[in-house]
Amino acid sequence: MAVQERTAFSGSSAQFLDPVVLSRINNLELLARTVVDGFLQGLHRSPHLGLSLDFAEHRAYMPGDDIRRVDWRLFARTDRFYVKQFEAETSANFMVVVDVSKSMSFGSHSATKLDYARFLGAALAYFSQKQRDRVGLVTFDHEIVQYVPPSTRHLDLVLHTLARAEPGRPGALRDPLLRVGETLNHRGIILLLSDFYEEAEEVIESVRHLRSRGHDVIVFHILDPEELEFTYDSPASFQDLESETMIPVVPAELADDYRTLIRQHTDELSRLFTGSQIDYTVLDTSKPLDYALFSYLSRREKLTRVR
Amino acid sequence: MSLLAPLFLLGLAGLAIPVLVHLTERQRRNVIEFPSLMFLRRIPFRSTQRRKIHHWFLLAIRALALALLVVAFARPFFQDAEVVIGSTLGPREIVVVVDRSYSMGLGDRWERAKEAASGVLQSLDPSDRASLVFLGRGADAVLRSSSDRQRLLTAIDTAAVSDEVTRYGPALKLAQTIVEESELPNREVVIVSDYQRSGWSGDEGVTFPAGTVVTPIQISDDVVANSTVTSVALRRDFFSGRERMTATARVTQRQGVEAIQQRIVLELDGQEVQSQMVNLDPTGSATVTFEPFTLGEAYTRGAIRLAGDALPQDDQLHFVLSPGRALRALIFEGGNARPDASLYIQRALEISEESSFQVEIRRSTSISEADLQAAAVIVLNDIRFPQGATSERLRRFVEGGGGLLMVLGERSAWQGGLEDLLPGRFGAAQDHTRRAARLGFLDYTHPVFELFGGPRGGDFARARFFRSRALTVGPEGRVLARFDDGSVALAERRLGEGHVLVWASTMDSFWNDLAVQPVFLPFIHQLVRHLGGERERVPWFTAGQVIDIADPDGMALVIDRESELADDLEQVAITPGGGSITLPVTGGSRFLELREQGFYEVRPPGSNPDRAFSVAVNVDVAESDLDIMDPTEFAGAVAPRETSTDLGANGLATPEVRARDQERRQALWRFLIAGALILLLTETAASNWLSRTAAKRFDGGREYAALNT
Repeated sequence: MAVQERTAFSGSSAQFLDPVVLSRINNLELLARTVVDGFLQGLHRSPHLGLSLDFAEHRAYMPGDDIRRVDWRLFARTDRFYVKQFEAETSANFMVVVDVSKSMSFGSHSATKLDYARFLGAALAYFSQKQRDRVGLVTFDHEIVQYVPPSTRHLDLVLHTLARAEPGRPGALRDPLLRVGETLNHRGIILLLSDFYEEAEEVIESVRHLRSRGHDVIVFHILDPEELEFTYDSPASFQDLESETMIPVVPAELADDYRTLIRQHTDELSRLFTGSQIDYTVLDTSKPLDYALFSYLSRREKLTRVR
Repeated sequence: MSLLAPLFLLGLAGLAIPVLVHLTERQRRNVIEFPSLMFLRRIPFRSTQRRKIHHWFLLAIRALALALLVVAFARPFFQDAEVVIGSTLGPREIVVVVDRSYSMGLGDRWERAKEAASGVLQSLDPSDRASLVFLGRGADAVLRSSSDRQRLLTAIDTAAVSDEVTRYGPALKLAQTIVEESELPNREVVIVSDYQRSGWSGDEGVTFPAGTVVTPIQISDDVVANSTVTSVALRRDFFSGRERMTATARVTQRQGVEAIQQRIVLELDGQEVQSQMVNLDPTGSATVTFEPFTLGEAYTRGAIRLAGDALPQDDQLHFVLSPGRALRALIFEGGNARPDASLYIQRALEISEESSFQVEIRRSTSISEADLQAAAVIVLNDIRFPQGATSERLRRFVEGGGGLLMVLGERSAWQGGLEDLLPGRFGAAQDHTRRAARLGFLDYTHPVFELFGGPRGGDFARARFFRSRALTVGPEGRVLARFDDGSVALAERRLGEGHVLVWASTMDSFWNDLAVQPVFLPFIHQLVRHLGGERERVPWFTAGQVIDIADPDGMALVIDRESELADDLEQVAITPGGGSITLPVTGGSRFLELREQGFYEVRPPGSNPDRAFSVAVNVDVAESDLDIMDPTEFAGAVAPRETSTDLGANGLATPEVRARDQERRQALWRFLIAGALILLLTETAASNWLSRTAAKRFDGGREYAALNT
């Protein structure tokens, strides 16, 4: 498998995946190209530079398989039925759905969560464009903010819109994702980038209907390291970025409980998404983008199998 | 209970601060933005607890500490009935200092001063005690800590202005001592004066003890013009064999508004002998030189008088003169001496404005008794010291007050017996051939060199010494000068009443060139005057000084040798005012305090010589400067810190002053501050304990308790 074939990056390539370094690049297209090309150059072999009709492998015939895919030549030599498997040949809709609610503006280092989502969305959009996919974008908070319909010519627009996305309002998943599902008529791949500050059941309810409409949904749960580790030490008043309410907090007394709760939340989301056949990955914004990219490629590889 | 600064009680409003801190969530200022409080809210934590006051005990401690601080700043004190009576009518220690310097005689100042002092003394309660101190050159405590109001009033009524100068220091020091020694709760010092600026230097070091109320009462008029005879210079000279005196008076006018012309008179023995007119600028001085006059007999009393003005004491200056006595010096140089061996000494002594030396040179070594009786100073110029009877006569001469100068030269030779007469042993001549010796050390504290101690006082270092005799000074000798190689140049020994000096080189131009240096003449004059026992006589003293008539030479009194004051006779001093002071035979000092301006006459009781021993006394002209200072500034300089002064003429402190005094003595604020500190320490300990307890409770997962109340 592709992921298993991953080898180490060269140092010069790996540094372009560091969010701290990427945060210094203003041009999102340049950023995406740097990430993707650098990432791909670091691989020894890529099975995804696809020729859409390239032969992949033989598989034993199973009842129900299309008889047109039986390799008769091989049957002549072996007297057994094998069917051919090919790489995907059709272009898919690739929709990047980015949460731009106020909570995404949080960042304990140089890159905020939205920055990270921007980098990731741009890189994957660029990558998909190179795969001949139709690329589109949706930004949302408690409603859809920007919508770029999927098109093979919309990469620039997608990147431009991503670059201009600004967090500002409280967010909610249900309504905007419902609108996204209603808007996208053709099945495709939906990349959802959010911090998911809602109850796990509400999140899964909001995302599940996308899956039920036939979309392949890849979910990246983007969190800042402080959200994961909660390393504050001095007592202070913590203010909710979206609701602006404040509560006094003594971190030394609450940190352990907080970490337990956030872990429970991510575990619950993982369980529910997996149960709904939705890929779910928690991303730490202090970590390089390669993990996210490999997750995507792994998923994408599965999607391109044509049985 | 009263408060000295009640406005500070407004600070009690600060008690609301801790409560407001609790109610407004003090930590709001330290805000951390966080993406979502979704999970933090789930943690068992009641944020509303911060809005509640959990530890009333801590709040009470903090509020009480703050209240104590506020009350401390308000300066509370107890003003119970006993204290009130004590502070207004209770026992007081009052020191009334009355200036009776002669400037208080100006106009009706003295009468008003007595009236003001009497007013203070009449306000005394039976339990009060008062002291009456007169202020002048010194301090005179007439009555000390007395409750006898009548005696005090009588003392002030019978007091008179003195001829002394104003000096605040001694009287205020005495007043300070009285109030320091007093055990009465209320202490006051009332100073009745014209507050002349000249009497206060500011560094007297007077500071009354805490709680003392200083009340200045100023008795002065507007500044008036005042002319003064500030000094007179008396110069002697000889004309046609007779001694003459020339008097030059210096006259000043201060605080004048216009130039004036005044008549100035020279009186001798009560008779006006000369007068001149002198023009004085509004603020200026002039010098008046009278024609020379001849002194005939001992104790000529003289006076310079100006036409009287409002302050007559400083318009006259008295002096006493006696005919000058020429010092007779006999120089013995031996028969084979060089012709000019004593030339330089002789010429130096003969050149004198006052012609006070008579010099005679003998070219022999025989010194008769008659020679010694006629001479005050004997100079043995490079001869062998006489032997036998002559040596004994010289010893007696010196012991009787005569002076002997031995000049060492080639012919001087040490011989036995001289060690008891000379200051040291002299040896062989030593040449300073490689480098001429110079005088490197001079004892400027000695009368011989005292004159040269000041700037431009004479350069002895220019003289070069090529040869000298080695001189080793004994234990009874004193080195007055050394050469720069450390050897002795001049040594002295006191023998009885007289002195013996040994000069280690010659007094001509043979062994050195000192004789041709400018300092030679004054050096020889000083040398001979010292040996002859002559001192500059003081023609007058200042009122307030004390003299010892048993030591007229020590006091430099103008005294005629023929009419010395006999030590074995009782004397009586007749004061200028006509009073008499008996000076009994004491065998030691006989002190006479010169209080009055004019002439004191001292003679045996019952006798009435034509010219008795007289002492002239003048007022201190520093008092003539009638410029006054601000009494408040003065009182502030001597008052204890934080003690206010009341400028009222009744001598009683105001209620405000008394309140401050009571508050300072009780010093309740210190206890309040200490109490507040204790409370704050208690609060710190208690809050730490509560915080630890709360943390433990939170760790148990049961409840989070806010760290602060």
